[in-house]
Amino acid sequence: MSAAEATALAVPAVRPAVRAEALPYASPYLAGVGLGLVLLAAFALVGRGLGASGAFSSVAAAGVSAVAPAHAAANPATAEYLGAGGPLRDWLVIEIAGVVLGGFASAWLAGRLGSAVERGPRVGAGARLAYAGGGGLVMGIGARLARGCTSGQALTGGALLSVGSWIFIATAFAAAYAAAPLFRREWT
Amino acid sequence: MTSWGKSTSPGAGEPDPSTSPGTGEVASLSGPERALSRGARNHRRTHRLLAGAAAVLAIAALAAGDRTAPAVSATGGARVDIAALARTVEAEEDHVTALELAAWIRERKPGLRVVDVRGAEDFAEFHLPNAENLTLAEVARAPFNPDETVVLYSEGGTHAAQGWFFLRARGIGHVYFLRGGLYEWMTEVVNPTLSADATPAQRAEFARTAELSRYFGGVPRIGGSAPTRVDDPAAELPGRSSEDGGGTTAAVRRVRQRGC
Amino acid sequence: MIFPLIETETTAGGGAGLGVALVLGVAFGFALERAGLGSARKLVGQFYGRDLTVLKVMFSAIVTAALGLFWLSRLGLLDASRVYVPPTYLLPQAVGGAVFGIGLVAAGLCPGTSCVAAATGRRDGLAVVGGMLLGVLLFAEAFPLFAGFYDSTPRGTLTFPTLLHVSPAVATAALVAMALAAFAGAERLERHVNRGGGS
Repeated sequence: MSAAEATALAVPAVRPAVRAEALPYASPYLAGVGLGLVLLAAFALVGRGLGASGAFSSVAAAGVSAVAPAHAAANPATAEYLGAGGPLRDWLVIEIAGVVLGGFASAWLAGRLGSAVERGPRVGAGARLAYAGGGGLVMGIGARLARGCTSGQALTGGALLSVGSWIFIATAFAAAYAAAPLFRREWT
Repeated sequence: MTSWGKSTSPGAGEPDPSTSPGTGEVASLSGPERALSRGARNHRRTHRLLAGAAAVLAIAALAAGDRTAPAVSATGGARVDIAALARTVEAEEDHVTALELAAWIRERKPGLRVVDVRGAEDFAEFHLPNAENLTLAEVARAPFNPDETVVLYSEGGTHAAQGWFFLRARGIGHVYFLRGGLYEWMTEVVNPTLSADATPAQRAEFARTAELSRYFGGVPRIGGSAPTRVDDPAAELPGRSSEDGGGTTAAVRRVRQRGC
Repeated sequence: MIFPLIETETTAGGGAGLGVALVLGVAFGFALERAGLGSARKLVGQFYGRDLTVLKVMFSAIVTAALGLFWLSRLGLLDASRVYVPPTYLLPQAVGGAVFGIGLVAAGLCPGTSCVAAATGRRDGLAVVGGMLLGVLLFAEAFPLFAGFYDSTPRGTLTFPTLLHVSPAVATAALVAMALAAFAGAERLERHVNRGGGS
């Protein structure tokens, strides 16, 4: 049976999970305003903005600490992400858990759930996954250098008019545009 | 389920009807696509509304200006936590020394604002690098951003301390004053003096001070008796009494003669 | 001023703060997926000139939050000085941004959207998540090599109002003007490209 039928059987009570045609995406401006309100709520409720890469750093640090605690504690780059109570008491880790839930919920309601490897027509799944993993690795390094990523620096720092954050936005976009030709066959 | 490998979902490299609502294309669209296009026109109206709202809020922001005095009422009264301020003074977190200020200026501390509260003539004759000239009344009203560090100074420090109180009463946190005023600047930064009977530790300290002093065009001196405490503005400045009446004006004249 | 209600640094991950984190995260992920940013193909459309969703979502969010921040502060509801502003490090953020941008166009997803993609079943999203974990780990292990660079050019909390000696009102208004101009340009560009006038 197809993935659609399998999913429909697995979660029978969840009608919207799979649609014959997925809903169109929402207006980017509306989604953006919604996102901005979430960010504003963060400022107002907990005096900080959103983020993402920090959660990855916390999880990685916790992993290293579990395997080699002395080594982790001795490395300042790892130790700074070792919070009391472990990653599950870390604000960003919990927030990212929310992101996963929210993303799932939205896709579920819109009929956009589905196992797939998104890629262009000219590249195979394996190659795409390699690019994805490699790109992720490079982003991890860049995000640590910059103390954040598109969520923490671009969105949060951008809204707070922080100079370093806008520098990040400028160089990230410029580099992405510059590197885009290198990866054209991955997408088109 | 649509095949995601060669994705046919909206926006995947093909014209996205929900974001590119060119009305001229309606005739060439099929039924469902025409429905999406109508939705796109509604979207356009919403987008225009949002853009308009943003513009209005931005213009209103310009008109409204910044919030100046959270703790000051319309008649100029203020609610002040005197106990907290007293604690700040006792902890010596209310002021900076001239050397600390000099270091901040040299390292271009971000957000540093040096404010000279003396009169315009005194300011014109000499002022600290990058200092602004504001009267105490202006200081009481001026907007300061939360991420700025404000350092007030005056000739002897008294007026600057008063300005410090006004700003603290307004709820502005990062404000300090130069306790010894320009007197302290002159004796500690422009003409720091190492006494002849200094300890090795004092000599080492002086080496750093001398370097900072030279950055500001100062002339470190060695010799003479131990310098007078500089938080007593009435005291005569060491090494000066034989030359002229002392005081800031004379010190300024000497500094300007060196052409810095 | 009643906002911010809690300051996370002082509560050190207290229950209320974490509860807020979860709720905000759910809303964050929901909004990202609604906009289609959980789809790598749609996201990279930004860099191949066809689909500027990334720019529209990002700048709409920034403008909304910045205007909201200004007005809540102006109306005496929010104490902006108690909102944590990430510190500025000129060189590391410039270089880190460039490195990040290259990874972004290769992966097609950013850290946040990779979680959304993974949550909706996209295996490439999962691959990005895995790559990121490895990347931050590698950075940490190799840290002694660039510790000096990492801490270079610090400027502390540095915002545009302070840098340019303008009021937050002026900076916010300028931001809005710039964003609206960018949106107008984006719409025009998309119409041009999608009518077959472009590549």
